[in-house]
This record gives sequence, structure tokens and C-alpha cells, in this order.
Amino acid sequence: MAEITYREALNAAMVEEMERDDSIFLMGEEVAAYDGAYKVSKGMLDRFGPQRVVDSPISELGFAGLGVGAAMVGLRPIIEFMTFNFSILALDQVINSAAKMYQMSGGQINVPIVFRGPTGAALQLGAQHSQACETYYVHAPGVKLVTPATPADAKGLLKAAIRDDDPVAVMEGELLYNLKGEVPDDDDFVIPLGVADVKKPGSDVSIITHGKMVHVALQAAQQLGKEDIDAEVLDLRSLRPLDVDAILDTVARTNRVVYVEEGWPYVGVGAQIATLIQEEAFDHLDAPVLRVSQADVNMPYNKRLEQATKPSAARVVEACKRVLYV
Amino acid sequence: MRRYPAYDPPEYVDWEADPELVRAYRSALEDDAEVAGLVGSFDEATLLSFYRDLLTARLHDISLKRWVRQGVISKAWLGTGEEAVTVGAVRALEPGRDVVTPMIRNAAACYLMGMPLADLFRAYLATPDGPNGGRDLHVGDPGRGVIQPISHMGTNAPVIAGVALAFKRRGEPKVALTFIGDGASRTGECHEGVNFAAVQRLPAVFVLQNNQVALGTRAAHHTVGDLRRWPDQYGLPSKVVDGNNVLAMYAATRAAVELCRGGGGPAVVVAETFRMGGHATHDEREARETFPAELFEHWGRRDPIGLYEAYLAERGVTADRLQQIEEEVTTAVEAAAEEALRSREIPVDPERALYDGVSEGGVLHGLAVRPV
Ligand SMILES: Cc1ncc(C[n+]2csc(CCOP(=O)(O)OP(=O)(O)O)c2C)c(N)n1
Ligand SMILES: [Mg+2]
Repeated sequence: MAEITYREALNAAMVEEMERDDSIFLMGEEVAAYDGAYKVSKGMLDRFGPQRVVDSPISELGFAGLGVGAAMVGLRPIIEFMTFNFSILALDQVINSAAKMYQMSGGQINVPIVFRGPTGAALQLGAQHSQACETYYVHAPGVKLVTPATPADAKGLLKAAIRDDDPVAVMEGELLYNLKGEVPDDDDFVIPLGVADVKKPGSDVSIITHGKMVHVALQAAQQLGKEDIDAEVLDLRSLRPLDVDAILDTVARTNRVVYVEEGWPYVGVGAQIATLIQEEAFDHLDAPVLRVSQADVNMPYNKRLEQATKPSAARVVEACKRVLYV
Repeated sequence: MRRYPAYDPPEYVDWEADPELVRAYRSALEDDAEVAGLVGSFDEATLLSFYRDLLTARLHDISLKRWVRQGVISKAWLGTGEEAVTVGAVRALEPGRDVVTPMIRNAAACYLMGMPLADLFRAYLATPDGPNGGRDLHVGDPGRGVIQPISHMGTNAPVIAGVALAFKRRGEPKVALTFIGDGASRTGECHEGVNFAAVQRLPAVFVLQNNQVALGTRAAHHTVGDLRRWPDQYGLPSKVVDGNNVLAMYAATRAAVELCRGGGGPAVVVAETFRMGGHATHDEREARETFPAELFEHWGRRDPIGLYEAYLAERGVTADRLQQIEEEVTTAVEAAAEEALRSREIPVDPERALYDGVSEGGVLHGLAVRPV
């Protein structure tokens, strides 16, 4: 165990895996000479050379496609998007190639590719740079998606993603890169995809969430604790595959659920989870499932408006109290 | 102009005109008969109007940099060293008639089309009285022919082609212009937009602003072919111009605009210049570590404002006259910045400001309480 940042954890995951398997390479804008727009690939060019740490032109669709092709014939690309906002330009390759090829070829061609980079808002980057892109990806069958919230999860999930034989999107958080935490330095520290994690146990209400919002949920749980409300925080960690058992389990224990997500509410992740719960655990519910999300507007650049738009611990507390009828 | 050691690139601080470069600057304006005819006919007032615009662009950026240092804003994307590209190109448009989509480094385009300088500063401060009410850092004013850019690279090329399509369809003698970075020119969207504009023969001017770098990547690292010949693959008329020569930029863009007005569009101007700072204010040091020092030295000697001053001197404009203009511009830019700072006192009503302009009025169907 060592205390390292989320950024260093991602770097360690890539470096360890690339040391282990020569077919893995990293490609994206600014990943090599500039060490990554957010310095996640620091030192990797020096270590692995320009054949394995590849700078690309501004060509999201192109380099995602190159990654898909290379993956089809046996390489294992890690594609870095400067942010997932830019990957919207690459969605044709993600959704039409990577996600579909395995099934459409009757299992003849698999696409072991990782798409990674930050998702969601940072600070005052405006509407086009602040989008939580999870639903764009999980909507289509064929792409797995993980959203690490801590340095340990970042390392374990990225390693699992790299070792997986399917396309996996790893959505990070720009505001998480400097977050420090204990991370196992074991080369085989891998967190299986599709396993949720109780970040804080509790018995009164379940706050289910993923990604950066885990920290908002934990903050809310702490505030609720001061009022003798014992909230559980369940971090899904993986949105596809989904840990259905963990969700049903927490519902059975607390009977009340609030879903917290950074994205928009409309057809969001929370909508999917709420549906799942009412279909599979209706009898356990003592209150409707509520959601706390980004406001249903494009992210404003103004600082105060931006804050008002984002989910906050205060709103999570409010929603928890509503499902508790207090 | 007065130099600002705290904000200028080091190459500009003790800048002195290199006689050979001044000669080249001048011959770029005299060797081509058409350009010479146009530029030679400029009276002093016209020549000085370009000077005024160049200074405005430079001082606008210096003000932003000052704000970053003071913590008023966290960062700014500047056009230092590239002012002549923006000024020369946009001056060739007719405000009130044509349309431009500037990239962030072309902020001066907004001002040149008639937007108040204070509004450009308000955009950075995201004040409620700014052009888009603080919703975005990129600004425009459709009434003045400025379409707010999309921040994704390459995306504006098809959009400006669509604007030109509308002009053509309605038979309006208007021209739509956008800037395309060397980096942005590598995107699929840019290719698709420019190609389709060419096929449709639309009145669009594409200014390929080759500032040699895209974020931390040198042009030679993202492009193997010659960017000067980029327009050829679309079969478009084009001219390669010294982007640090404001009058050469103006003359070339004007010719492109006229071609478009006559139905001969689209047309391309390839402007060669250099980004004398970082991608934004946060990575200036890194840019100097990443790119060869010779690039900064080479282009540092070609300060578009310093060279223009030297040219004006040869055309008989006195130093006093330049200084007088500089004082006026400095006062105007400072006043605009002050005015914008005062706008910060206007209170924001988050509920209204958030949902105003959202088509559903903020009420999400099926939910009693608006989820936030
Ligand atoms: C599609 C897309 N990918 C990545 C980015 C991030 N980005 C912003 S500016 C930039 C470099 C642009 O280079 P260039 O087009 O040459 O313009 P310059 O910054 O030099 O003016 C990059 C990669 C973006 N805005 N859009
Ligand atoms: Mg460039």
C-alpha cells in the first residue's frame, strides 16, 4: 500500500500493464511529448517510446477508429480522450464499430480496447466541456463502462479494463486527479468489472451513485449522520456490467433510495436504476426512488450558476429526508 | 508601442525592427500589383485604423493576462503574435452584412464586427449582462454578424458552410468566414464542411490560421503534407500570406471575399503565423519547454505590431501620431475592462438565469419537483 494520487494510480495501472503485455499501447492527443493534457501519462513516452505512446492529431473519430482496427488484429489499445466531451466526435467508432463487432461477427472478432479520460464538469469550462457522458456510452449494448471514484478504484478498474477482451470505457474525473488515497502496489491488483462497493454502510437510506458523485454522497451521509440518520453509500463503480445484486441488497436493507448522478436526469443512469428497483424490489420500497442530478440545462459558464446546476450534498440530504418522510 | 515586460513574450520586450524583415514586409505589399494598388491607395487615416485595431487586440489580451495574475479569472486563451491574422481578415468583411465565427484566439473579431469591447470582457467574467448572460465564455452577437463558436475543433467549418448555404439560397450577397487552426484542419468535420462548401460553391472564406502548433503539438507532428497546399485537395482558390503582415492579410482576404460575392467561392487564405504564448495562460512555461526556442526567436522578431509600426514610419507616419493613438486605445481598453468589472455587481437570479431560454422552461415532465 502506498498513498498516491488518482492520477498516479491511473499512470501506474497503465505502466504495469504495458510492462506485462507488449501488445498494449496508449494513443491520444498530447499523450506523449506533452505527458497528457492532465499529465496522466507522465513519463510514459520516455519509458515505452513513440511506438507505444502515440500522439495523435486532433482526430477523435480517426484515432478511435485506428484503435478499433488495431484491436481487431490483436493489439490492445488504450485510447485517451482529452475529455469524453471530445469523444462525442468519436461515437461512430465507439457505437458502430467497437460495441457491435463482436456480436455482429458472430463472436469471430472481439475488440479489446479501452477508452479513457475525464468525464463531467470541472470548474467553469462551459457547456461543451462539462458533460457527464456516461449515458452516451451505456445506452448501447456492447460497451462496458466503469467510473472509478478513488485512487484504488482507478488503478484496479483500469487494470481490469485493460485486461478485458471487450471495449471498456473508463470515465475519470478531472477534479479527482489530485485526490490522494491508499492504493495496493500489487501488480495484480485488479477490481473485477461489475462489482459495486459499499463506500459507507448504513441502515436508514441508500444513496446509490457512481463516479465523482461518490464524494458528494459521502459528504451528504456525514451531514445526515449528525441528525442521527444512518445513510448507506453504494458506489456502483461499473455501469455495465451492473451489480444488480448489490443494488437489490441495499434496497432490502434500507427500503429507501436516492440516486445521485452528475449527468442530466432525462433518461439518465438514475432513471435506469429506479426502473430496475421498482421492477425487482417494489415490495421492499417504503418510498419512491428519488434522483439528484445535474439540472436539466446546459452547463453555464458563470460560477454561481454552475454551482447551482451541479448536484450538491445539500440536495442529497434534502432528497434523503424526503424519502424518509422527515 | 509601449512594451509590457510583465506580460509580453520576452522577445517583444526590447523589440527592435530588423531592417531586412521590414524590407520583406514592404515588398510583400509592393510586389503584387493588385495588392500594391490597394494598399498604396490607403490614406493615413486608413493605415492608422489598422494600427488601432492591432493595438486593441493586443491590449485586450494583456488585460486578460493581468486579470489572470490578479486572480480575477483563472485562465485566458490569447492571440498574442497572431493579431494581424484576425484584424486583417475581419477588416475585409463588411460589418452588418457578413458573418464570422471566430475561434477563441480571434476574440478581436467580435470587436471588429461592432461588439462593444466591454462585452468581450464581460464574457470572461460571465456577468449576467454579458452577450449570453454568462452562459458561455465564447460569445457572439448574431445582430452584428458574429456567430458564437463551438469549442470543439473543426466543428465550425460545416457550420459556417451552412451559413453560407443560407446566403446563397436566399440570393444574399453576403459572405461567411471562419478561422481554422492548423490542428483543427486535421479533423473530419473540418474536411467534410470545407469539401461540401466547395461542392456547393458556397460564399465561404476559410482562413487557415497556421500558428505552427496545436496545444502542445507542433504542426509538423500532426501533419506530414504541406498545409499551404491544403486548399488544393478541395479545388479551392487560395493564397498563402504572411499572417504577421496585417495589410497582406487584409488584401488576401478581401480578394477572397470579393470572389465569394461574385459567386466564385469558397476561397481560402492560408495565414502563417505563430502562437507567442501557451495554449492558454496556464501552460506558457510548458510551451517554451516543449517547442524549440528558435521558433519563438524566429517569430519574436516578426511582431506584427512592431513591423507595422516600422512600415508606417516608412510611409511617413510620425511617432507622435502613433503614440497618440496608442494612448487613446489604451484608455479605451482600460475603460472597457473597468466597465465589465462593474458588471460583476449585478446580482444573478440562479433560478431564472438557469432555466431561461431552455425550451421546456425547466419543468421536467413526470416529476413534481425539478431535479437539481
Ligand atoms: C474535437 C476537439 N478535440 C480536442 C480539443 C482540445 N483542444 C482545444 S484547442 C486544441 C488545439 C487546437 O489547435 P489549432 O486548431 O491549431 O488552434 P490553436 O489553438 O493553435 O489556435 C485542442 C486539441 C477540442 N477543443 N476539440
Ligand atoms: Mg494552431
